[in-house]
Amino acid sequence: MGVPFSIRGLDKKFGGLAAVQNVDLDLQEGVTTALVGPNGAGKTTLFNLATGHIIPDGGEVLLDGKSVLGQSPHLIARMGVARSFQDLRLFGRMSVRDNVRAAIEPTAWLWQPGGGSAARKREAAVDAALDRCGLTKQADARAVDLAYAERKFLSVARILATGARIWLLDEPASGLDPHSRARFVQLVRDAVAEGVTICLIEHNLDIVTELADRIAFLDRGAKLAEGAPQEILRDPKLIGIYFGEQRT
Amino acid sequence: MIAYLLNLATLATIFGILAASLNVLIGYAGIFSIAHAVFFGLGAYAGAQLALQFIPDVLLACLAGGAISAALSLCLALPALRVRGEYFVAASLGLQMMAVTVFSEAHALTGGHGGLVGIPPATLFGADVSGPAPFLVFALAVLGLLLLAVRLLMRGSFGRALMAIRDSESAAEAFGKDVRALKTLAVALGCAMAGVAGALFAFYMAFVNVESFTLEQSILVMAMVIIGGTATLAGPLIGVLLLLLLPAGLSFLPFIPPTQIGAVQQLIYGLAMTLLMIFRPAGIAGGRR
Repeated sequence: MGVPFSIRGLDKKFGGLAAVQNVDLDLQEGVTTALVGPNGAGKTTLFNLATGHIIPDGGEVLLDGKSVLGQSPHLIARMGVARSFQDLRLFGRMSVRDNVRAAIEPTAWLWQPGGGSAARKREAAVDAALDRCGLTKQADARAVDLAYAERKFLSVARILATGARIWLLDEPASGLDPHSRARFVQLVRDAVAEGVTICLIEHNLDIVTELADRIAFLDRGAKLAEGAPQEILRDPKLIGIYFGEQRT
Repeated sequence: MIAYLLNLATLATIFGILAASLNVLIGYAGIFSIAHAVFFGLGAYAGAQLALQFIPDVLLACLAGGAISAALSLCLALPALRVRGEYFVAASLGLQMMAVTVFSEAHALTGGHGGLVGIPPATLFGADVSGPAPFLVFALAVLGLLLLAVRLLMRGSFGRALMAIRDSESAAEAFGKDVRALKTLAVALGCAMAGVAGALFAFYMAFVNVESFTLEQSILVMAMVIIGGTATLAGPLIGVLLLLLLPAGLSFLPFIPPTQIGAVQQLIYGLAMTLLMIFRPAGIAGGRR
């Protein structure tokens, strides 16, 4: 089993605050890894560092063994790393279909490469992603007019359509009703079955249990533990930290 | 009366190009520039100098005005790449103030406060097109071509990428969009179109000076775009028609003394902007926000 995406000794300070401290993380191919930890643990910052949205103070980010440290977010995205945002960041005034189209168009200059056949393939990918995320009927609606769960699924549809092999999902299921949550879990399982490598930040431990093959536990910017879900979620010390009962 | 209407139509066409060009920045790319009159001015001075020094061909002047404005649009693109929102508005205000000073003081290029006078009548491939009707036809053709180009660009991947950046810059980057390059290109495109409008303006007025390129002009054009409706093709044109025809319409109302028209106009503009932003924030042609 390969390790397409690795983080080595990543560090980031904001003023005097160590947001991320010497974190190592390997995302194994076709494996779902959950980042778990209390608020302020540095989970989203780790995503921002890994995808080039924030420049780390030290450490290394490796994609297929090659460093992508210091690369622009758009270049890292083009290498097959897709991410979602906690606050979704949909293209609000654009239609659902255009949200997905904009996400998958490989370049945005005046003309797209590949001509008509590439355009047809992209449209097919858009249709398939909308269908799998249950958004076909809303395709022409503006993103800002969607219901909450639909917005969540649109944020996944954009990633799904890209065909990216590494997904970094930031609280993708927060606030979903049980039915939508079940659909989301199935969507992620299908993607993993297709070979996608997923790292997700999630506060709902039921979803973590359902989806994660591995858990990395973060607190105050440092990785405290990593292992199988049953191992991490049964550790009373970690659970205590998670629920704010005790701190190391 | 016909001459008066032709004059209004020609000015509306030139300002239509100018408003459509600002709409590329504000409506599609989310870049709120209040320095657009600077690029209108650059195009006007470039067109005027070409006509005065070399050849009064209006098409060449439009190309020269567009090229100069596009090249100097980097002055706007650089702050647009570094700051957003109100910080960029402040930066563009600084650019507008600096440009007015340069326009006023660079006598050799702009004629200073006196401006450039005696711009020769417009020709097109040697034929005289300076008459009111031929010039209006040429200006309308330019407007039509530019609107077509904007429509094609904005309905394609370029437009989608720009609008994605407008709605969420970080998400657009996360989906592979080169935000810096796209913003620079959008600014260059919008400023080039403003330069074309400026060149036409110079020929039409046969005289240009700094008074036409001040902050007030930038705000007027911004009002045209916002009132008409951003990110729509028709919106800026509707805004132009309203804001240019309104003063003309007011002058026909017998109960407003001619000396008070300016004040009444300002009151109506202010009231219209306020009511529009409350009840229809996306503008007359815009949809819901």
